[in-house]
Amino acid sequence: MADSTKTLKRSSTERGGSQDTKRPRTDDNGVDAMAAKANPYLAHLNQEDSDGPASHSFKSPLDRMERHNTTADQALKAEDSDTNPWTGRPHSQQYYRILKTRRDLPVSKQRQEFLDMYHSAQILVFVGETGSGKTTQIPQYVLYDELPHLTGKLIACTQPRRVAAMSVAQRVADELDVTLGEEVGYSIRFENRTGPKTLLKYMTDGQLLREAMHDHDMSRYGCIILDEAHERTLATDILMALLKQIAERRKDLKIIVMSATLDAQKFQTYFNNAPLLAVPGRTHPVEIFYTPEPERDYVEAAVRTVLQIHASEPEGDILLFLTGEEEIEDACRRISLEVDEMIRESDAGPMAVYPLYGTLPPHQQQRIFDKAPEPFRKGGRPGRKCIVATNIAETSLTIDGIVYVVDPGFSKQKIYNPRTRVESLLVSPISKASAQQRAGRAGRTRPGKCFRLYTESAFKKELIEQTYPEILRSNLANTVLELKKLGVEDLVHFDLMDPPAPETMMRALEELNYLACLDDDGELTTLGSLASEFPLDPALAVMLISSPEFYCSNEMLSITSLLSVPQIWVRPNNARKRADEMKQQFAHPDGDHLTLLNAYHAFKAAEQRGEDLKKWCHEHFLSYRHLSSADNVRAQLKRIMETHGIELVSTPFQNKEYYVNIRRALLAGFFMQVAMRESANSKVYKTVKDDQLVMIHPSTVLTAAYDWVVYNEFVLTTKQYVRTVTNIRPEWLLEIAPHYYDLDTFEKGEIKSALTRITEKVRRRQAMKGGK
Amino acid sequence: MGLAAAKNKRKIGKDPNNTKWSRNTESFGQRMLRAQGWQPGEYLGAKNAAHAEWHTEANAAHIRVVLKDDTLGLGAKRNNGDECTGLDAFQHLLGRLNGKSEETLEEERKAREDLKLSLYVEQKFGAIRFVRGGWLVGDQVKSVLDGAETSASESTASNGTRESTETNETTAASEVSEPAPKPTKRKADDADPDEEKTRKKDKKSKKRKTDSGSEEEASGSKDGKEKKSKKSKKSKGEEPAATDSAQSASATISETDEVSAETSSSSESKKSKKEKTRKKDKGKKEKEEKKDKKDKKEKRKKEKSEVESGTETGDSAAQSNKASSNGTASASGSTPAESSVSTPSGSGYSTPVPTGSSRYIARSRFIAQKKMALTDAAALNQIFMIKS
Repeated sequence: MADSTKTLKRSSTERGGSQDTKRPRTDDNGVDAMAAKANPYLAHLNQEDSDGPASHSFKSPLDRMERHNTTADQALKAEDSDTNPWTGRPHSQQYYRILKTRRDLPVSKQRQEFLDMYHSAQILVFVGETGSGKTTQIPQYVLYDELPHLTGKLIACTQPRRVAAMSVAQRVADELDVTLGEEVGYSIRFENRTGPKTLLKYMTDGQLLREAMHDHDMSRYGCIILDEAHERTLATDILMALLKQIAERRKDLKIIVMSATLDAQKFQTYFNNAPLLAVPGRTHPVEIFYTPEPERDYVEAAVRTVLQIHASEPEGDILLFLTGEEEIEDACRRISLEVDEMIRESDAGPMAVYPLYGTLPPHQQQRIFDKAPEPFRKGGRPGRKCIVATNIAETSLTIDGIVYVVDPGFSKQKIYNPRTRVESLLVSPISKASAQQRAGRAGRTRPGKCFRLYTESAFKKELIEQTYPEILRSNLANTVLELKKLGVEDLVHFDLMDPPAPETMMRALEELNYLACLDDDGELTTLGSLASEFPLDPALAVMLISSPEFYCSNEMLSITSLLSVPQIWVRPNNARKRADEMKQQFAHPDGDHLTLLNAYHAFKAAEQRGEDLKKWCHEHFLSYRHLSSADNVRAQLKRIMETHGIELVSTPFQNKEYYVNIRRALLAGFFMQVAMRESANSKVYKTVKDDQLVMIHPSTVLTAAYDWVVYNEFVLTTKQYVRTVTNIRPEWLLEIAPHYYDLDTFEKGEIKSALTRITEKVRRRQAMKGGK
Repeated sequence: MGLAAAKNKRKIGKDPNNTKWSRNTESFGQRMLRAQGWQPGEYLGAKNAAHAEWHTEANAAHIRVVLKDDTLGLGAKRNNGDECTGLDAFQHLLGRLNGKSEETLEEERKAREDLKLSLYVEQKFGAIRFVRGGWLVGDQVKSVLDGAETSASESTASNGTRESTETNETTAASEVSEPAPKPTKRKADDADPDEEKTRKKDKKSKKRKTDSGSEEEASGSKDGKEKKSKKSKKSKGEEPAATDSAQSASATISETDEVSAETSSSSESKKSKKEKTRKKDKGKKEKEEKKDKKDKKEKRKKEKSEVESGTETGDSAAQSNKASSNGTASASGSTPAESSVSTPSGSGYSTPVPTGSSRYIARSRFIAQKKMALTDAAALNQIFMIKS
């Protein structure tokens, strides 16, 4: 305690010297108050002291501040004061401790500069590397300038990831010494922790977009901060275009675009030459090494490089970038084994190996922040940790202590092909910007080294300059629907930073038209408007909305939730056979959708019996985490359905039509994802209209080869697969989606002749019925 | 992988890219876009946007990627013709045929053995080499850190000159081709211990090993052309600092280039003439291919030596012989084994191919048999159909 007081004093006087002379005095007061608070016997004094003024007049230091005309000194003084200007309560001890570290952040030195620019411009581009403190500090600087309690207009700060929005909000609440959910809150897809008192709100970019659907002018907000804009997520790109428009209409709205990389020029040009403020990060130089020759096997080379670093480089943690879960787990295993041998054979230091990827459970993700292991004996070789990660460790996560980065030059990236309508995650070379970003990770704590497992000429010739933004790599059906709902009429000239390929846009419009979300003039229909209320893909939303017609909306709700979470089936390498046997317990002969439903029902039944669900899931090779998140999603979707008056009905289970209804209801949304078997005895299917040859993914429970199937996704690996498949009857297609299965629009081929035969059959049957 | 590779059969449909759809101008999507004023071939987005200068082809058509389902490293090509090793066994023989002296042959053999040893060590423990790519300071890549810049470049430069004089003295015969490419090679290696003292000792010693290896190899083979090609390959992968300091030597490089080009062209024309006369002389010679090829080599050797002794006055016959012999070796296509000398791994990749497969064992046995044959002079003569 005494130590921290001393250091606080010292740092405050140092600052005082450079700023104004009055500062040290106020600071000392703060320290005194703190000391008083620390002493439990003086606590009553302290309480009287601060409660007194706060209760009757609340002489807030904010009173003297004028909105959009504040200075850094004023704000600093307000922050240093005994009472919290936002709550009127005295500051806690922890507050001052955090305040000290906050003042050491690189952005803090440029607070005045920031405010000057903020006052003079409507749109500001802010560049600061990760670790500069921009995500936590800039919104607070804005808070002290915007004074939202006077105007009632909130400050929003968007984040690309839910976890980031939650954790940053918590951190900022601590820094401001307020309770999370009151003055500072967050809002993410299925969770809202804000209240009437909220002044500063962290949210995902998608969430702000959803809000904008009902509030085209974003009139609730006085300032909107787009953080991590360099990641160029789909939602951030749309928001930028939208805010650019809104800024024209609402001159009082301030916008800050924050990026971690120096491609800010593009942002500046895009926002009509907005001013730029750059804060240097605290980075150390990183030495870059290339291999002299290309690598034959990058995983092998990566493992060897890690081992070589461990054997021959001084202390420091290692970060290895690989592409996917399986590759990462495999590499982790190999590294651990080799290191164990190294320790046995020679005197190597200990090494902890941690995997890191998106679908890893949070508590395991947390492990990457553990300290590196201690040396085996005093004075022995130092221990280190090695983190094997996907590209989430590239920008989003900051891990301290990393000195060595191993970069094979690949990552898994989403790619969408509008011609075949396939969206898939494929391993492809990273961009130069991405490679630099990865290398930069090595220089966080001290000068580091980056080992690139490719040649310098490969770096120059084979890598593209910038990673393509998500908008160029995704199916835009959902985006177009959102844009329509946002009131964007002219999709062609919508001012996006990176306009998507015309064919991608065409495909999106076409899909929405078939789903009856857009009418033939391109206007949003009632169904489309309703579908946009669901945070789901249009096909899933339409399926859900039309499910009451098939008397199975409860079941479709469950299936939809299960399809919007990662795979619930667990298939560990060492127990594949057992896992498959367990899955067979839930299997339904007609398809994977129904199998999913069975598993979910079993899960709920176990819950009702009061079983230990985690244990139950483990025994049945199901993912507890994904099942419970599906359960959560289901509850949210149910609420949306109820607010829009969509009935929740079920066919009685005893009714033989129970599963038939579900299969038919699937088609209401997925009639565009149907495949027909090429010929009898063949395992190859052909997708309807796009004529792609596919196989059914080996994970299916289907044993019989049905002629017609509906599928949930198209997977691209060495072969083209369709995954999560259910058997359907072709008659249903003609009945449920006659506009799509209009025979005139089909080209001559097996599918057309098969459909013609079926039409004939249906007509004959009807004629017979009529005759009777 | 060739014929032994696993078969990957995949049926591809009639229209895998679905051009049927993209050609259809009547689709709903296309109608909508046209109605809003889009013309085929145009970007979407605001008209005359200032940021349009950053648009790429990805804004015009969907991103195309190559489906990757293996762990081939970035920039590596599958089966680039260097998978088959074992030709280094012939180096000794070829060198002798080309008239190299016993000492150089011995040195070459030693270099190869060093290589084999380091290869073995690598396969056992898996060393991976890296070349410097400069420092990332903040957001920019610098070739050398500010403080160390001047001293480092100085030291490398001085190294280079020292080295070149050395080689000039020791290998006077190859004065044309030798000095230029060598310094850059040395520098790349020398720069390491100079710049970075924090490195562990074992690493250093490894570097030294490769260093000495390359030295031996360099003094052993006086192959101008080959070196040049190697150098150009290297310089691509080298850090800017090295190439910068190499500029001092670049003048000599270009000079030698010209000289060698001249000599080769002149020798070419002479060769054709000579060949004719020779054919007449030895008409009874066998017509076998191998024989022919060998003949040509010998011929070229002689011709070159003539050319050089003609133009360059001070050269002894033996020396020019050596130089020209190497010219022919490179002309006949550098063998993979030879090109791999600079990088200890014979495959041309930094990471050696994992060994231990049955195929490899069979192959090594085969190579061993061939090696046995090489030691037997009679067998060799039989193989190459030389009548002694």
